[in-house]
Amino acid sequence: MTDERATRPKTSFVGLDNYRLLIQDEGFRHSLWNTVIITVIVVLLTNVLGLAIALLLRKQGRLYSLLRSVYFTPVILSAVVVSVIGRSILADKGLLNSTLVSMGVDNPPGWLTDPSYALYSVSGIMVWQMLGFAVVVYLAGLAGIPVELEEAASLDGAGPWQQFRAITWPMLAPALTINTVMLMISSFKIYDQIAVLTNGGPGTDGTATVAFDVVRTAFSEQRPGVASAMAGIMLVVVAIASVTTLRLLQRREANL
Amino acid sequence: MGKLTNRVAMTTALGLVALTGCSVGGGSTSGGSGGGDVKLSLLTFETPNLTAKYWDDIIARTNAEVPGVKIEKLVAPSSEQRNEYARQLDSTGALPDIMVAVDPAGLAESGKLAKFSRAELADWNDPTANSFDGDIYQLPTNSQTWQIYYQKAAFKKAGIAKPPATWNDLLAAVGKLKKAGVKPFVIGGGAPDGLGPRWTFSQLVATEVYAKDPKWLDKLAAGKTDFSDPLFVSAATKMKALAGKQNVDDLSATYAEAQDAFLAGKGAMYPMGSWFPAAPNKAQQKQIGVFAMPTQDGSLVMPTYTGGGLSVSAKSENVAKAKKWAIEFSKQNADGGARYDGLFVALKGYKPPTDLPPLYNETLGLYEKGRSSGKVTADFGSEGGSLALPSGFMTEVDASLTDLLNGRSDVPTFVKKLNTKFKELSK
Repeated sequence: MTDERATRPKTSFVGLDNYRLLIQDEGFRHSLWNTVIITVIVVLLTNVLGLAIALLLRKQGRLYSLLRSVYFTPVILSAVVVSVIGRSILADKGLLNSTLVSMGVDNPPGWLTDPSYALYSVSGIMVWQMLGFAVVVYLAGLAGIPVELEEAASLDGAGPWQQFRAITWPMLAPALTINTVMLMISSFKIYDQIAVLTNGGPGTDGTATVAFDVVRTAFSEQRPGVASAMAGIMLVVVAIASVTTLRLLQRREANL
Repeated sequence: MGKLTNRVAMTTALGLVALTGCSVGGGSTSGGSGGGDVKLSLLTFETPNLTAKYWDDIIARTNAEVPGVKIEKLVAPSSEQRNEYARQLDSTGALPDIMVAVDPAGLAESGKLAKFSRAELADWNDPTANSFDGDIYQLPTNSQTWQIYYQKAAFKKAGIAKPPATWNDLLAAVGKLKKAGVKPFVIGGGAPDGLGPRWTFSQLVATEVYAKDPKWLDKLAAGKTDFSDPLFVSAATKMKALAGKQNVDDLSATYAEAQDAFLAGKGAMYPMGSWFPAAPNKAQQKQIGVFAMPTQDGSLVMPTYTGGGLSVSAKSENVAKAKKWAIEFSKQNADGGARYDGLFVALKGYKPPTDLPPLYNETLGLYEKGRSSGKVTADFGSEGGSLALPSGFMTEVDASLTDLLNGRSDVPTFVKKLNTKFKELSK
């Protein structure tokens, strides 16, 4: 609502000019699109992998306890640490490309420097970090399913797939709701991973997200007025997406 | 089902609360020594050369000369993020009392930094460097230059007898190096400090733009020219010709990785600032040489920046004492700055220690030659003062340079993007 800028002594009320500026700004639209892509990938992939791993780790035993800890470790590490590890793997001369070269690949991809891959690489790191969270929520959901139901289905001759489709998956509806909404919110505000892995690049149309753009605009360009408008738009988008998703998923729960 | 949702949510929430309690807090450390009745915060940054111990030592020595001050040391997340970090602290009302090498742009114009008087700047060589409408908000403590460092062994392997002096010499050297199987350049540019290509480009802007039209930046600020000016286009065209992806070793390398790669001989040339000589060890010092970015006709042009010293917050608990401490720090740190950061100290009568690394002396010699028989220009991106480029503009330049180097953009697109961003940030 103001044209506040650190390099300008006076601040004036500019109405909706900042919003108008952002709507016309190709860079901001690109950041918004990047954020949506990352969110879709993270929500879908983390849910699918999280559920699969939770089903595998459902059994009791030392090995399974150990594996639960392994999958959960990235969740307790800071995003910066996870991203630094991710960088060491995905850099042009990182672990992954060194392995590919040793296997005879002449020109391995620039996972973080080629715009065709960078956004997916960043999403992949985010999935890796959030996976443990999704697994824990699904494990909690699985623990809440009465054993009698599965036993009864088994006695009635239902196979594993039928049991999953008719009992497990519907009963996991609350866990799906929590995971989806939490992953959505986390993905919308992704900043640290971008700052460490790509710094918004590669180049001008790289991996900048809205949260990254907010920080860059506020502190690097010293335009807090425009940055506030960006944050305002993000708030509205996150609120609409979260509430809509929550309503849809809760309606599914209510239909059980 | 609602109850189940609540149970899972509660479990999750408790887990998150527990995890939050496990996280490491705080981005700063305290250090320094000395007691006193005035407590002042000092924002520093650490690099492989400027370690925590380095700062603690210099703080202790300065405290000894300015009694009654207790310094609380704050450390920026990285050397390249110190400007953003200072502004983040400012936005929370916690601008440090004293800041090391933080760009004063924005902070100065909005009255957040204390002015240094002419009397306080009496010991400085260039007391008007980086002035904001005549006022100085950052001690102009050192000069830095930009040039090209090279591996002597790589040049020998490629049959290059002496460092290139003209543009055609340089292109020929690039060709010979490639033929000999040596990557001509190490530049880097990967996150989190994606400014590697800038060090090459700023030298080309110096030779193609600032040396040919010293008033170019004034014209840009006045709207009398823009980045489609033939001089600037020439610099961009040369950048693409010189440092395209095929000529550069690993554009994803971070600053530190690029430096390590050059020191390990993974590329022949390393366009870099005059602080680089502090990095090579004794053996490496002898293997590396330096030359100025060649010009079309072989004349010598040295892009230079004088400034980079300490700033003081105008809202410091004791501005006078903070300024006194900053001035004393500059004197106490002179030898250390030269030795560990390769700085050319800009204090009157200063003589560097005689045992500084050979590459430092060679670079200093190049700078002095530039001052005596060549042209000294501003450095693109660190001009400083009232005429500086808008805050944040160089981030766009860095990103656009990456596009230019990796082939995703051509010179007209590069120029168009800079014009658009410059217009947007200049409003």
